[in-house]
Amino acid sequence: MTKSNYKLTKKDFNQINKRSLFTFQLGWNYERMQGSGYLYTILPQLRKMYGDDTPELKEMMRTHAQFFNTSNFLNTIITGIDLAIEEKEGITAKDSVAGIKVGLMGPFAAIGDSIFGALVPTIFGALAANMAVNGNPIGAFIWMAAQIAIMVFRWKQLEFAYKEGISLVTTMQSRLTAMTNAATLMGVFMVGALVATMINVHFAWAPSIGDLTINVQNNVDMIMPRLLPAAIVGGVYWLLGKKNITSTRAIFIVLIISVALSALGVISK
Amino acid sequence: MAIQWWQILLLTLYAGYQILDELQIYSAFSQPVFAGLVAGFIMGDVTAGLIIGGSMQLTILGVGTFGGASRIDANSGTVLATAFSIGLGMNPEQAIAAIAVPVASLMIQMDILGRFTNTFFAHRIDSNIEAMNYKGIERNFLLGALPWALSRALPVFFALSFGGGFVDNVVGYLNTDLKWLGDGLSVAGAVLPAVGFAILLRYLPVKKHLSYLILGFVLTALLTTVFGNIQLLGGAVAGVAKDFAPMFTNLPMLAIAMIGFALALNEYKKSIAQPVVVKDHSQDTDEGEIEDDEI
Repeated sequence: MTKSNYKLTKKDFNQINKRSLFTFQLGWNYERMQGSGYLYTILPQLRKMYGDDTPELKEMMRTHAQFFNTSNFLNTIITGIDLAIEEKEGITAKDSVAGIKVGLMGPFAAIGDSIFGALVPTIFGALAANMAVNGNPIGAFIWMAAQIAIMVFRWKQLEFAYKEGISLVTTMQSRLTAMTNAATLMGVFMVGALVATMINVHFAWAPSIGDLTINVQNNVDMIMPRLLPAAIVGGVYWLLGKKNITSTRAIFIVLIISVALSALGVISK
Repeated sequence: MAIQWWQILLLTLYAGYQILDELQIYSAFSQPVFAGLVAGFIMGDVTAGLIIGGSMQLTILGVGTFGGASRIDANSGTVLATAFSIGLGMNPEQAIAAIAVPVASLMIQMDILGRFTNTFFAHRIDSNIEAMNYKGIERNFLLGALPWALSRALPVFFALSFGGGFVDNVVGYLNTDLKWLGDGLSVAGAVLPAVGFAILLRYLPVKKHLSYLILGFVLTALLTTVFGNIQLLGGAVAGVAKDFAPMFTNLPMLAIAMIGFALALNEYKKSIAQPVVVKDHSQDTDEGEIEDDEI
C-alpha cells in the first residue's frame, strides 16, 4: 500500500480554488450533478497524495466522481474537510470521506442556496433593478462589487476548512443558524419594501352612482397606500400554494389575468 | 430590419458567456439587469435595456436554481426583448410581456437539453478513470462548457437572425388593431414583479418574520407616498415660482435596506447571545469551554 506523506501546500490550495471558482459546475449533468466537478477540482492533489497509476488513486477517483451536489459558494468547505482527512488517513478513509461528503452536501446546499442563491440576489437584485428601471446602471455595479467580495470569501474558505477540519461543522453550527435567521429576516423585510415600490399598477375603474363618480384608487389610497400591489402579491402567494402551480405557470396566469383586467378597464399602469 | 450583423454576433457571444459566468464566478454579469445593460449598450439605447432588464430581474427575484432545477431563462428573454424593442421600436414594457417572458419560458427546454447532453461527457470521464487517462478526464470535464454555452447562444442567434420580420408584424398589430392587447401587455409587464416577490415569500420563513414583512411594506408605502408627493409639489412650485429649482430625489432604496440590515443585525446579536446564556445556567458543557478558548 502506497501511503505517501504528501502535505498540501499553498500552491495546492490556490490550484483547487482556481478550479473551483472557474470551472466547478461545467460538467453538471442530471446523473451525477457536480460529481465530475468535484473530481476535477482535486485531481492534481489526489495524484500527488496517492501517486500516479496506483490502484488507490483509481479507487479514489471513482469515489469522487460519484453523485455530488451542493451550493457552489460553499463547496470548497467540504473539499477542505475531505482533504484534511484524506491527507491523514489515505485510502483507509475512503468510506468516511464518502459519508462526510454526502452528509455535508445537504446542509451546505441549504445554507448556500438561501444566503447566496436567494438573499444576496434579492437584496442586491432589488437595488439594481430599482435603479435600472429609472435608467440608472449604478445599482448593477454595486451588485457586481458585492459578488467580487463573495469571490474573495469563496477563495478563503478552503484553507480555513482544511485547518479546522471536522470541528468546523460543529462549532460553527449555531453561528451559521443565527446568520441565516438574521439574513432571512432582512430578506422578508426587503420583500415588503419592494412590494410597496416596484409594482406600479393602480385602479383605473371609476364607477358612477347617479351623478357621483367614485375614484376607486383615491379611496383605496386613503385606507392604505399601495394596497393593490399588496393584494396582487397576496393573490399570487395563495396561487403558488395550489397543487400543480409552478412558478412558470404562475407567471403565465398573472400575464393573462393582467391583460384581461386591463382590457376591461379595471387596472392600468 | 434594424439589427446589424455585428450586433447579432455580440449578443450571441454574450448569451453564450452569461450562463458560464453564472455557473462559475457568478459576477452578477449573468443577471437580467446586466443582460439588459449589455444588450442595451450593444443596441445603442441603455435606458430601454435597463428598464427591461430591471423588470425581468424583479420577475425572477425568488426563482432560484436550487438542486439543479431549471428556471425560466430571464437572461435570454431580456437579451431578445431588448434587441427587438430597440431595433424595431417597441415599447419596453410591451416587450417584457410579449417577448421576454415567453422566450424565457421556452428556453427552459434548452436548459434541460444542455444539462442532459452533459451526461455524455460524464460517461466519458468514467471510462477515462478506468484507463487512468488524467488528461482525458480534465478535457472531457472542461468540454462540458460547450453544451452549456450553446444551449443559450444558438437560440439567441437564430431568433435574432430570423425572428425580426415576425416580431415586426407583431409590433404593428399591437399598435393598431390589437391596441387593447398591447396596453394589456404593458400592464402585465408592470404586474409581473409580483410573481417574483410571491415566490420569494414562499421560500422565506414568512410566518416567523411576518411582523418584519408588514413593517417593510408599510414603512416603504408611506415613505414612497411622501417622497412622491413632495416631488409633485416641487414640480408644481417650480411651475409658478421662476427661481425655484426643485432638487427632490426618489425614495432611496438603500436607506430602506439599511433599516432592514439594522433589524437583522439586532436579531443576529440576540440569537448569538442566547445559547451562551443557556449554557452558563444549565451545565458545564464542552462546547462552552471550546468557545472560551477561542476568545
